[in-house]
Amino acid sequence: MRKRLVLGTAAIIALTLSACTGGAPQGDTDPDSIRFLIGQPEDTADLDLVKEDLEAFEEETGISVKLDVVPSENMRTVLQTQLRSGEGPDVFGYDTGPGFAGALEKAGLLYDLTDAYAENDWPIYDFAQERVTFGGKLVGIPNEIESVGLFYNKTLFADLGIEQPQTIDDLTAAAETIRDNDVIPFAVSDKEGWQGGHLLSMVLSSEIGGDAIEELIAGDAAWDSPEVVDALSVLADYNADEFFTPSATAVTYDNANALFYSGKAAINPTGSWLAQDIERNVDFEVGYMPFPASGSPGIFSGGLGSGLFISKSTAKADAAVQFLDWNLTEEHGKWQVEKQQSIPAFPVDTTDIEASPLFTQILADAAKIADGTGDFGYNVDVLMSDTFNEAMWDGVQALLTGQKKPDQVAADLEKNY
Amino acid sequence: MTTASLPAAAAATTPERRRRGSQGPVNSSPPVTRRAQTRLGLILVAPVIVMTVVFFVFPLANALYYSVVDFDGIDPNPQFVGLANFQEMFLDPEVWHALGNNLIWIIIGTAAPLVIGLLVSVLLWTTRAGTSPYRVIFFLPYVLPGVAIGIVWGWIYDPVSGWLNQALTVVGLGDLARGWLGDPNLALYAVLATAVWASTGFVIVILLSALRNVDIELVDAARIDGANPAQRLWYVILPQIMPVFLMVLTLTLVGGFSVFDIIFIMTGGGPAGATNTIGTYAYSQAFELSRIGYGTTLALLITVLSVPVAVFLNRLQRRLSLDGSGA
Repeated sequence: MRKRLVLGTAAIIALTLSACTGGAPQGDTDPDSIRFLIGQPEDTADLDLVKEDLEAFEEETGISVKLDVVPSENMRTVLQTQLRSGEGPDVFGYDTGPGFAGALEKAGLLYDLTDAYAENDWPIYDFAQERVTFGGKLVGIPNEIESVGLFYNKTLFADLGIEQPQTIDDLTAAAETIRDNDVIPFAVSDKEGWQGGHLLSMVLSSEIGGDAIEELIAGDAAWDSPEVVDALSVLADYNADEFFTPSATAVTYDNANALFYSGKAAINPTGSWLAQDIERNVDFEVGYMPFPASGSPGIFSGGLGSGLFISKSTAKADAAVQFLDWNLTEEHGKWQVEKQQSIPAFPVDTTDIEASPLFTQILADAAKIADGTGDFGYNVDVLMSDTFNEAMWDGVQALLTGQKKPDQVAADLEKNY
Repeated sequence: MTTASLPAAAAATTPERRRRGSQGPVNSSPPVTRRAQTRLGLILVAPVIVMTVVFFVFPLANALYYSVVDFDGIDPNPQFVGLANFQEMFLDPEVWHALGNNLIWIIIGTAAPLVIGLLVSVLLWTTRAGTSPYRVIFFLPYVLPGVAIGIVWGWIYDPVSGWLNQALTVVGLGDLARGWLGDPNLALYAVLATAVWASTGFVIVILLSALRNVDIELVDAARIDGANPAQRLWYVILPQIMPVFLMVLTLTLVGGFSVFDIIFIMTGGGPAGATNTIGTYAYSQAFELSRIGYGTTLALLITVLSVPVAVFLNRLQRRLSLDGSGA
């Protein structure tokens, strides 16, 4: 009787535990079916495009793709948990930086694509390949090239008699004119914090040039140097002069974009990824320029967006590699440019592609980044550690709310490098 | 006279002895019945034991483990660091800043809903008819999801298009318009105001239920004796609902230690950490900086601070209930 009681109790405990943990993993064993995890795109129309692309892939290869979408801000937590449990997606989209894909590779969670690169002769730009190489292994394919700069309301500029600024003095004068006409000069948002990193990246890149910012990123120059302090001072001064959205640290990215779309703000400092959304939402002409430097028009801050990676524990590596290969075809590259208005990280012949003037310009600027013919800066946060990024994001927020001065923020950056 | 001074025969009849004596029939029951009772007892307590182990002991043991390792969320073999996380916690100035915010939250976030809730519930209780719509209106915020409340109030507080600033401008108080959630000196209080709005309805409904058990004759007697409304509330009504009042106090107070969701949604702990509490700071360390070990240590701090308070208030509430001094 006692034995039965013990067994019964054990059964109850086992049942309860299994109910809590969800039981043993029940993986999908179909080799022609893969699971693909991505972060939620900014616009639902972009998600529809992804689904359309996956349908085309399924039709072409017979491999079905189950799409999982999670909120972008939860991507890191969800992905890490899934990969560690051995129940991760076969393929996933993720940031390419050392704090993201680099950390996963370090933990041995990414599939080594070095052989796949060689076998398939994937034509990804060298600089882009370097960004997905960790520990001597190629572990992903970069999805797109991005740049960070200033979208501006060309129509409003023309109405106010403002030419495209060629120097920072021009930009300051333009901002004064815009502000005096009751329009917010810059649709700056910094509630989420990461926008501060983009602001600093674009001002700093333009002012000191690509080589100098590369030295900062590599640790060969100090983050509390006068150049960095000066760049931070530009942000502090523009904020004090009411060129930025009032209380920018209380404004979300979406709300700042809405201010630009509605014509309440004249300039939107953000990245090329927003080009399509801007064109969908505005009824005025839009231009795109780098943040001007002291004596020159400045340079764009460039970098890679997210990339595609394969989970090391996948049982369907062949299908997953085939999916990556599909994403690197010439046809897919053209589709990406035309439909998604994003810039592939491999050469695509765009001569017969129909694109808006705005995106054509972005494409041309990105081509200079890709082939190395033009100077470009860096979007700092994708290349730095989480600790540094936190210090940078908090630092710019502190700057905009008057909690810290530029030299204090620069000192924090150096301390957290 | 103490029990010790009683004669032996008399002492044998003390309540203590009588209670022990009452177990006699159980002890003399047949062995089969005793086994059956033991079995039944074990079966009855087994679910509670299992749930305690699964939902309390195991997570606590897990948290203790993570607090002594340097875990980044990925590495399957994190390095043992002993008490380094605890040492860092005590030396981390942001922890003390966050604790200060927790303290502000506990004081205002507990006092305001209780005071407002008590006054409104007494008002509704003393009103004879037509209170149902008010009860629904007051309770409604409590049943709304915290995330929805945070998002909607974020819009209300928006510095450019939020209706709070627009309303202030319309009534001629445009000078007061500001970025409520972007001002480091105001943001915590702006979020706190939202939290008070959301939780007061719960206090009202619970206290209103307790007020139904208040002895009206005592209130009337106090009135006849010349007690004013404040005196009747303080000396007659409040003591009768004290156990329920303490229960609500415990819930709101402990919530103040672990507050996370509404701050995370509305400010993310910003600007520049100005609204960080231990909960948001722990999240930031664990999931934004991938420092699960340190984040877990911070979460343990919440437990260590809040459990004794909860236990104390719970015991006080039980004692008052046993004394029969409450509703």
